[in-house]
Amino acid sequence: MSAEPAFKPRLAAIPDPGEPKIVAEGINKTFINRENGEEVVAIENLDLTIRDQEFVAIIGPSGCGKSTFLYMLAGFEDISAGTLSMDGHPVTGPGPDRGIVFQEFILFPWRTVLRNITLGLEMQKVPRAEAEAAARKWIGLTGLTGFEDAYPATLSGGMKQRVAIARALAYNPEVVLLDEPFGALDVQTKFYMIRDLQTLWQEAHKTIVMVTHSVSEAVIMADRVVVFSARPARIIYDERIDIARPRDALDPKVIDRQREVTEVLSAEVDKQMRREAGRNPLGN
Amino acid sequence: MTDIASSPACTASRRAFLTRRNREKWMAWLRPVISISVPLLIWELASRLGWINSFLFPPPSQILTALWVQAGPQGRPPYAIFYHVFASMMRIVIGVGLALVVGTVVGMLIALTAWGRAIFRPIISAIMPVPTLAWTPVLLLVFGIDNRTTITVVLIATSFEIIYNVVAGLDMLSKRVFWVARSMGASHTQTFFKVIVPGVLPYLITGLRIGIGFAWRALIAAEMLAASSYGLGFMIFDAAEYFNIDIIFGGIMLIAILGLLLENVVLGRLEAATIKRWGVQVER
Repeated sequence: MSAEPAFKPRLAAIPDPGEPKIVAEGINKTFINRENGEEVVAIENLDLTIRDQEFVAIIGPSGCGKSTFLYMLAGFEDISAGTLSMDGHPVTGPGPDRGIVFQEFILFPWRTVLRNITLGLEMQKVPRAEAEAAARKWIGLTGLTGFEDAYPATLSGGMKQRVAIARALAYNPEVVLLDEPFGALDVQTKFYMIRDLQTLWQEAHKTIVMVTHSVSEAVIMADRVVVFSARPARIIYDERIDIARPRDALDPKVIDRQREVTEVLSAEVDKQMRREAGRNPLGN
Repeated sequence: MTDIASSPACTASRRAFLTRRNREKWMAWLRPVISISVPLLIWELASRLGWINSFLFPPPSQILTALWVQAGPQGRPPYAIFYHVFASMMRIVIGVGLALVVGTVVGMLIALTAWGRAIFRPIISAIMPVPTLAWTPVLLLVFGIDNRTTITVVLIATSFEIIYNVVAGLDMLSKRVFWVARSMGASHTQTFFKVIVPGVLPYLITGLRIGIGFAWRALIAAEMLAASSYGLGFMIFDAAEYFNIDIIFGGIMLIAILGLLLENVVLGRLEAATIKRWGVQVER
């Protein structure tokens, strides 16, 4: 870990928050449990403003509704109550202004790496040469050079996720949504991906919302960390991470911040566990 | 890599490796040839030496001669073999072609629409276990001794496998695949041609492989009952009337060879260009 990073360390300051990009006000989400017909409140009265070109990491206990919130931003899930808007317009469904990266990659196995990445532009009827030029740019930035003609099945998990990230960026969305992007990768791969892609996120100039369950991922990558409570989700922590990039996992400032977030998160997890134990008739 | 390979010690082992690979390749060819020709040779000897009844089991050389004669101007009718093979193949190609259309449409209706599922699922579950041949008497009454009867048998035999596999393929397409397409701004038509069709293709090919196997077996049987003058099934049935045992065995050999070509060469090529190239696993 003490090895010199491959790229030139450019100590970039954290950009000042821009105009509000995504505004969530009084968001509620309720599900009907299919088994017992009970109403489950996943998210309750949630307010969150995400600013233009801000990198926000959302973290929370598992099952807290953070992915549901991300899917609402993407337009995959409806909101039960409240308003959710982007650039002042309500979010009504998915669209190419928001790119998505899933934990499970969800690549198209019948398309090569290059063709996976150009697909979004093909859908928008961008001429092939132009689409390929755009794709090649992101292939370079995500470290996929040389793999253009490979099929996804031949790639490792880390490479697959690079393809998914390049694919989401290639059609130039304003917002990129990352749903536990490194969750399916082993620790080594994850470490190198986070390090290699640090500059990518800055150069992309996008508003990025990442859902994760890893505190270190959140603190190393994001401009701002938001912690959701256990279900129903509320915001219990919301702080900017004013540490210059590139960030080192061993930097005391990073470690301090990680400890701070971990304390908030583990207090919440404890509370959730106690509540669940209380509900357990055996009471263990 | 190259500097290691060019060192003298490595070249020798490399050459040994290459010759071993070459031998492996030859053996892969030779093994099936041996395993088929040895029993034929024993049969030839047994028949000629009178160990077995040479009327009921004419030696393979006699069978091949009979086929050769029937394939030439001395055949009854001249060039009979070609007519029989052509008739059977035509029925297979037309029947399978129709099944491809019917099966894909019905499969997609079942997997993608609620009403399609409601209408077709029960019907298919009820009809699927019926052996295709059981339909032949009905078809004979409807169409008479006609190509339509045999083609319909092929259609029925192939359709169910195609429907089953198309439904399985569509069920395997994750909800997230459609989410990715929609967040790329894909229209319904684009989603259909760029996601659904290629996503289902590997399953369609698997269904086709199994369906053709069934169709080939059903067709030969149906031709025995419902072909007026041509077709391999008819040829065998007709030869039995005249005790032309060599033609019966010749027909069996042709059925085996053509079945092998259909299932392994034609479909093998199709699979090599899709499933194998993409490295997709089809679960069944």
